[in-house]
Amino acid sequence: MAELDQRLLEDISEWSHERPVPGIDGVLRLDVRDGARVDEWYLTIAKGVVTVGRTGGEPDCVVSGDSATFAAILSGKANAMAALLRGALSARGKVVLLTALQRLFPGSPGAEGLPTAGYAERQS
Amino acid sequence: MSGAVKILSGNTFVVSDDSGDIEASLTDPTGLFSFDTRFLSKWVLTIDGQRLNPLSVDDLQYFETRFFLVPGTGTVYIDAKLSVIRQRAVGDGFHEDLTILNHDDKPVDLEVRLEAACDFADLFEVKDDLKKKGEYYTSIDDGRLVLGYRRETYVRETWVSATEACAVDEGGLTFAVHVEPHEQWATELSVAIGRDVRGTAAERPEHERRGHKAGSDMALSLEKWLDEAPSLDCDWDPLKRTYRRSLVDLAALRFSPVMLPGHHLPAAGLPWFMTMFGRDSIFTSLQALPFASDLARTTLAALGLWQGARHDDFRDEDPGRILHEMRFGEMTAFEERPHSPYYGSVDATPLYVVLLDEYERWTGDAKLVRALERQARAALAWIDDYANLQGNGYIAYQRRNEKTGLENQCWKDSWDSISYRDGRLPGFPRATCELQGYAYDAKVRGARLARLVWKDPAYADRLDKEAADLKRRFNRDFWVEDGEYFAIALEPDGSQVDALASNNGHLLWSGIIDESKAKAVAGHLMSPAMYSGWGVRTLAEGQGRYNPIGYHVGAIWPFDNSFIAWGLRRYGFKEEAARIAAGILDAAELFEGRLPEAFGGYERALTKYPVQYPTSCSPQAWSTGAPLLFLRTMLGLEPIGEHLVVDPALPQGIGRLELLDIPGRWGRRDAFGRSRVAVGSPPRRDAQLGVIEPGATKA
Repeated sequence: MAELDQRLLEDISEWSHERPVPGIDGVLRLDVRDGARVDEWYLTIAKGVVTVGRTGGEPDCVVSGDSATFAAILSGKANAMAALLRGALSARGKVVLLTALQRLFPGSPGAEGLPTAGYAERQS
Repeated sequence: MSGAVKILSGNTFVVSDDSGDIEASLTDPTGLFSFDTRFLSKWVLTIDGQRLNPLSVDDLQYFETRFFLVPGTGTVYIDAKLSVIRQRAVGDGFHEDLTILNHDDKPVDLEVRLEAACDFADLFEVKDDLKKKGEYYTSIDDGRLVLGYRRETYVRETWVSATEACAVDEGGLTFAVHVEPHEQWATELSVAIGRDVRGTAAERPEHERRGHKAGSDMALSLEKWLDEAPSLDCDWDPLKRTYRRSLVDLAALRFSPVMLPGHHLPAAGLPWFMTMFGRDSIFTSLQALPFASDLARTTLAALGLWQGARHDDFRDEDPGRILHEMRFGEMTAFEERPHSPYYGSVDATPLYVVLLDEYERWTGDAKLVRALERQARAALAWIDDYANLQGNGYIAYQRRNEKTGLENQCWKDSWDSISYRDGRLPGFPRATCELQGYAYDAKVRGARLARLVWKDPAYADRLDKEAADLKRRFNRDFWVEDGEYFAIALEPDGSQVDALASNNGHLLWSGIIDESKAKAVAGHLMSPAMYSGWGVRTLAEGQGRYNPIGYHVGAIWPFDNSFIAWGLRRYGFKEEAARIAAGILDAAELFEGRLPEAFGGYERALTKYPVQYPTSCSPQAWSTGAPLLFLRTMLGLEPIGEHLVVDPALPQGIGRLELLDIPGRWGRRDAFGRSRVAVGSPPRRDAQLGVIEPGATKA
């Protein structure tokens, strides 16, 4: 089992500039298990924008799980809410932070939910 | 479920028989449920091996019930020298005080046994009769019985314990009881949600494990809720009872999402729908705005938090879309069902903007409107960017999840609800008419908020222009010339699906109908083909698929009627609105103040009694909210600027109606209504409202 690909988290941070997380600031710590090893990642949400680091302030919410689960969620192959219900993730503290972040995780691969005609007009 | 006793707290509820016992089969919604999972499927009390016989059931509160029992079943009491009281309160699980009274002159020795077992069924499995994929276990741990279920990392447990000494085995608890003459014996039984998504009960903070304190905390909360609501006085007594029942049921249906502890929004209904639904939560919040605007605030915040942001075919999710339904059970956890959450609703998104605006008009809470600006703009953008599936500028739906998604994504969501006059079903994507009304209203209201709160006049102008254009096209494309009403839907090729349905009433509510066409539409709604005397049928009599007990093809929905009445008032049809209120409020009286989800569309003169739809939920949030909205429409309550305008039009049988301390941006205000219709004799008390007196003219 490989350790979590840092780029997946950086994507989240990048997305948050385009799609800010509404109205909720705080620190979410991911405890990523890989065998006996636990890597901590800090996602700090301030004014809707997420920054990623290996250190951070006192977490408002701690989410733990194995690296495969996190990798699946961060690449759109699994759903965070379902993983939490399933026990593949566990969360302590203000779980609402995880809900707010969910909007930054990718959707399911190959999804056909393409914007309809009006979308293109509006973008041009 | 006849004889079923239901008590609930948030989304935890217990359904038992009238002796307090639970013996659930997989397809039967009895048991202890929490977060869509059954945590107890068997709970049977015996004394010396005998079942108990119910004498009476007292529903103390919606969360608390007391059962009076005697040993022996059948018609003859075997031993009436003993009586048994089970008093049960729901909290995080449930708590039961068991008391045995010995009325004899001699002491007795008894073997008291409680059988307990659990199948940990997901509510979806109960509805659809599916089999489990994991393994069960039981253990005895520190004097308590642990019932458990495990599937990979998914673990759920129920902990059963008692305060009195007992022998615990894997099938239940046994007490060796000695009771002196004219004395009693008692124990407290606890059935706790031992382990769920929040971890084990032991890890949960004390206030969440309310246990036996649940009763008093919840009684306080209910009292506060009732105190804060406006008070009603009226010379027609049934309305007072219906009003109180509605407030209490609405309190019972308040639900706190697992990720937003401490905040309440209306769940859809018991037993199947104790969860967050976009559409139901929004409609109920709209109905309740003049009475309890907090529900709207939480609904807006929670739905905004879960607003769609991604493309996900399984969940029918798009950016900006408001969720349809959230579930917490095993099948959702393993992504066998898409409800984490599922977004397959096409009306919740425009209605979200409608609610935000209506909320601001009542409360003046511009702060929330500012905080939710991004969500509201995303919802408005979704209408044009993602819902224009026919490419003609109308909002339409077609599921991308063909396996477990919803086929009809409007409120009439059964398979045959959208049809032609001759009964044929149209193709997909479907653009039903009421959706266009909601979209129009969302744009008009979005424009108001943009101008007033977001200070973006250019955006406001654009929305106003789009709304006007939509209204113009709609009145041309949906109008059925030979029938003088609006078609229920458009086909993908733009042709009309020409059935006459109650959706026309929602169009009045949204304001999309040209003034010149409103009279014909109101006439249809009040015609014998649509108005049964109790209410407006979902589908007009004479249409191909009409069936008086067809869910969306003839049955009468109180919620639907409450919005139709609002629509009639909007276009000035005061007396018609009052007649609709009268019929449904008469029905409410016959249902003891608790309106079901739907009842039969039979002619009132034919049945004399509204026939309840066979499998409808009760209480159900938007039926519970209907009498509240009727109060608003009867009194003609309308927030205009900083003021509450009152313009009453009461049904004939109500001489006087007072609603006091109505909260809003004006502080608190009273509204008074007196019968405007001169009647020869004073109205009879408790007479039915909707019965046409001899000699009275029929509209």
